[in-house]
Amino acid sequence: MTQLVLFNVFNGLIVGAFYALMALGLSLILNLSGVINFAHGGFLALGGYIAFTLVPYVGFWGGLVLAPVLTALIGLLLEKVLIRRLYGRDPLYSLLLTFGLAYILEDATRYIWGARSLPYEVPSWLNYSLSPGLFFLTGYRLFMVALVAAAVAGLFALLKYTRLGMRIRAGTLDLETVSVLGVNVRILRNVNFGLGIYLAGIAGVLAAGMLGLQPTIGASLIMPSFVAIIVGGLGSLPGTLLGGLLIGVASGVTAVFAPSGTEAVIYVIMAIVLLVRPRGLLGEEGRV
Amino acid sequence: MGAPFIVPALGEEAVRIGMDNPLTGTYAALGANEVIGARLAVEQINAKGGILGRKVELLVEDSTSGDAGTAVQKARKMIDRDKIDFLLGNVNSALALAMGQVAAEKGKLLIVPGGHTDAVTGTDCHWNVFRVCNTTRMETNSISKLLFDKYGKKWYFITPDYAFGHTLQQGFQASLKKFGGTEVGADLSPLGTTDFSSYLIKAQAANPDVIILLHAGDDMVNVLKQAVQFGLDKRFHLAGAQQELEVLTGLPPEARVGSWVFEWYWNQPNTPHVADFVADVRKKSGGKVPTARTWFGFASAWSCALAANGAKSLETPAMAKALRGMKLPPEIALMPNQPFFREGDNQLMPTLFVGHAQAKGSADPEDLFVVDSFVKGEDAAPPVSETGCVMKLPS
Repeated sequence: MTQLVLFNVFNGLIVGAFYALMALGLSLILNLSGVINFAHGGFLALGGYIAFTLVPYVGFWGGLVLAPVLTALIGLLLEKVLIRRLYGRDPLYSLLLTFGLAYILEDATRYIWGARSLPYEVPSWLNYSLSPGLFFLTGYRLFMVALVAAAVAGLFALLKYTRLGMRIRAGTLDLETVSVLGVNVRILRNVNFGLGIYLAGIAGVLAAGMLGLQPTIGASLIMPSFVAIIVGGLGSLPGTLLGGLLIGVASGVTAVFAPSGTEAVIYVIMAIVLLVRPRGLLGEEGRV
Repeated sequence: MGAPFIVPALGEEAVRIGMDNPLTGTYAALGANEVIGARLAVEQINAKGGILGRKVELLVEDSTSGDAGTAVQKARKMIDRDKIDFLLGNVNSALALAMGQVAAEKGKLLIVPGGHTDAVTGTDCHWNVFRVCNTTRMETNSISKLLFDKYGKKWYFITPDYAFGHTLQQGFQASLKKFGGTEVGADLSPLGTTDFSSYLIKAQAANPDVIILLHAGDDMVNVLKQAVQFGLDKRFHLAGAQQELEVLTGLPPEARVGSWVFEWYWNQPNTPHVADFVADVRKKSGGKVPTARTWFGFASAWSCALAANGAKSLETPAMAKALRGMKLPPEIALMPNQPFFREGDNQLMPTLFVGHAQAKGSADPEDLFVVDSFVKGEDAAPPVSETGCVMKLPS
């Protein structure tokens, strides 16, 4: 039993890292632009499908590099054409817009690539377990965790050490002042949105290797990411990371004791956090 | 009242078949294939003179994959506003049951192409509700002996948490008890679960002989793909009841493993008319072969025509009477033995295709299943007296 719980804690960390990757992109966009991007799952699916289309020409690694970039470009375009127009208004408007966009993206992938699952293959040397005992540590899952770690480190470094990152952080705190200081906020928000979608694109390619590539892949993965943000605390990227890992582990451990509750448990955690500490685990006071 | 005298005339209203099936969500792919089959059937029916001399039209509505409210509302709309003569649906067992309620209330003929839970032709049966696909119990009965004798008597279940999964598990549990085997564990996973790793970790710890996966659609793709990535197929036998071509084509080759039941398979070199059907469907689906779902839609729409033309009427009681006990002709059956709608529960008795998945077919990229044996529906089905169906026929 102890071993079972321990296995599930480790496994939960792997799954949680994945949730965190998706949630970080969501969080970036939410923090700077106040847009709750319900279409994030749609972009994730798009990332996976674009990679699937590219793999025959550029291979698995080429797909992994190119697909998130292309997805981000589509994100930039949609921000410019649609989402930007709603920045000044009540968040409800952009919520409704991205909610509709989520359906459009899902149906577009269904229309272009078909409703059936597609077999996304990963290099066979990644397909093995480390050892028969630790069978759930497959090469692919470890690679996934490493990539998530690299992406997170890259993101945090970018925010901390670059001019762009500094502006994004400053804008998150007080966009008006940043604007008055001469920063082009339109471009800043556009680039920031693209960055968030880029992370969704990476998550999409990774998910396609682990799950079946299907039009609903994004819709089924987006809710845990929202929960990760709320649990971790709005406005806090480290909080989002922590939230993702926490619900991953909770979901895994629940499977040992009450398997039908793996989905419910993450919402229970969210409810408890909202009741006891409404600003989230690492959220700042006054940003709820 | 006597039957109306039918005079085919120009401009006369078409006979309408309304299909209320998932086109979005988890079961979108399955629903879409049932539509393709029904379309082909309607074309053939029209080419052969239609229903009672009238042209046939197929209306299709999206029931969603899991929202019974939407499915019921669409069914009511098609009956009340579109004046359909027949109702077809649903892939999701729970939605099929809900549509059964509507059909019973409105007195419409409902043919369920592909919702498998036992209750549809069991405890919730209605005189005007017929089903083409197998019951879950027929599926488990057709393969359980083979699994027990060949792969071992300790079974672990991973089951989707809704009607379809529950009844499949009950079916296997009943067989296991009869044979004297052991259930070493059973876990329910929420419908639409993407990550099955924690369930698989638990299953392997119980050290079963067979891990039985009872999912459908995208859930089955996800659980099987992850089980194989963990190498569980090398240590245990993976098996289940219902498996579908839509799932196997969605998996990478190494994950096409395990023992399963297909309800229809396209590669039947010795069955008449199948090759023509495959060729016709390929023309409609961008070269893809028909799946069991395509056949369900095809046989269901054809059953409407058989019922009406047999009864010489579009009155539901007369059509239901004509369908009871009716055998499907070979060009519609497209399988060995002759399937028939059983009197007493209105359940079709098709042949089940028991076999195993294969990574790559030699003949065709979509030849991913090997049929090891054909099991007659009436041998797999429990007798009507054990289904729980108490049918009140209209007076």
